[in-house]
Amino acid sequence: MSIVPVDGSITPVVDIATPSSKENGVGFGDSLTRLIGAVDTSGQEANSAVARMLDGSGDVHDAMIALQRAELTFQMTMQVRNKLVQAYQEIMRMPV
Amino acid sequence: MPTLTDAIDASASALAAERTRIEAAVSNLANAESTRGPDGPYRRREVVLAADPTNQFDAALGRAGAVGVRVAGIVEDDSPLKQRFQPSHPDANEAGFVALPNVNPSEEVVDMLSAARAYQANLAAIGLVRDLIRQSLELSR
Repeated sequence: MSIVPVDGSITPVVDIATPSSKENGVGFGDSLTRLIGAVDTSGQEANSAVARMLDGSGDVHDAMIALQRAELTFQMTMQVRNKLVQAYQEIMRMPV
Repeated sequence: MPTLTDAIDASASALAAERTRIEAAVSNLANAESTRGPDGPYRRREVVLAADPTNQFDAALGRAGAVGVRVAGIVEDDSPLKQRFQPSHPDANEAGFVALPNVNPSEEVVDMLSAARAYQANLAAIGLVRDLIRQSLELSR
């Protein structure tokens, strides 16, 4: 039985050397879209938790925790958005 | 990965458990004089709590940080019922004694207060974790 030597024939799972292009990489816009999706999801969860609390099938603390989670997710997204806009404006002010 | 939200989940499970304890104490108080039930007079109910990891995956790996709590069961207290001499009562036996629930109202009030204090402590823990997350978000300012 022969042992196959390890050479370059094995393709790496992620090619680290080449910079990620728009096709295979995740752009900043994509992560922002995901964050907004998370805000939307947590907002809907908070809504349904409050509705459950009001119709008597849910606990008060569950509704309040869902509200807090939605608020924190929203604040997180706002901070990321602020950083993005700040970076954009700084690049726009750059003299060329 | 254990996160701060796991701590909130653990405290939330404790809130539900303490609510169950309060419910048990309240039903014991409400039924302190109930001589009729499915099988004889009402018997004092007690809540049994058990540790319950909020993140089963981390718990299986032995690295769960936040461990919540769940209600393992509600058991009935088998201690002897109180006997009161009251021949006029419809549920009195031939000797004139009525079997009353084995509930001691002052004990129930103490249980209820201790559950309420535990509830407040867990609310404080949730508030603390929330403030920590909020202050972490301030880092980017």
